[in-house]
Amino acid sequence: MMGTDGRFVRVVLRLAQAEAVADQSPSIEAEHMLLALTAPQGGRARDLLAEAGLDHDAVRIALAADVERSLALVGVRLAAGRMPRSSSLPGRKPRLGASARWVLHRAVAAARGGPENRIEPRHVLVGLLNARVGSVPRALDLAGVDRPALIARALASP
Amino acid sequence: MPQIEVQETGDPGDGLAAVVALRRLADRLEDAAVEQAIGTGWSWSEVAEALGVTRQAVHKKHSHRLAAAGISPRRKP
Repeated sequence: MMGTDGRFVRVVLRLAQAEAVADQSPSIEAEHMLLALTAPQGGRARDLLAEAGLDHDAVRIALAADVERSLALVGVRLAAGRMPRSSSLPGRKPRLGASARWVLHRAVAAARGGPENRIEPRHVLVGLLNARVGSVPRALDLAGVDRPALIARALASP
Repeated sequence: MPQIEVQETGDPGDGLAAVVALRRLADRLEDAAVEQAIGTGWSWSEVAEALGVTRQAVHKKHSHRLAAAGISPRRKP
């Protein structure tokens, strides 16, 4: 398993950056970090997500469902359920967005007090799950995930 | 013309999520529409005027991406 020390943050950010590029997003956001945690490098966080029925496809579908629902609230329906696509600039490296910064702040808080204060995969997951608002909690609620229970399991199991 | 109906759910989170989704959709639409316009012979000035921004602004935002995709505006004869 990869990453039970601070290097994991760099790994997850690199994976999240690739998710942001694939999503044609100008910045790395919380949802890209959630997708990143479903990769094999996600370690314990990946396992916890999988136990809750969330693999990469399930997360992507839940996020898309939230966008679809949000647009429907203002009378907009996407043709074929997809955002318009265009060409991308090769080598583009999205920077850290505001929602991802909040996730990292909460991950640091979750790791505080643990052995050696190291940020582990499960702490990043807690940073995502502790968001009260935004696309991640909305998508997870749509997917029927019991966030408080998942947080408790993440904090209890190194 | 179909009406756009904005639903009130009473949850401000729904309204804010709709704003985020609309912004994302607008950005994607702009990228795709500018690419299509330049690819079918529009000039940067025409695209800028259609978007209501300066030529410099639209060129700065999109020219590198389109050049990398091999899409360039028409040359004046």
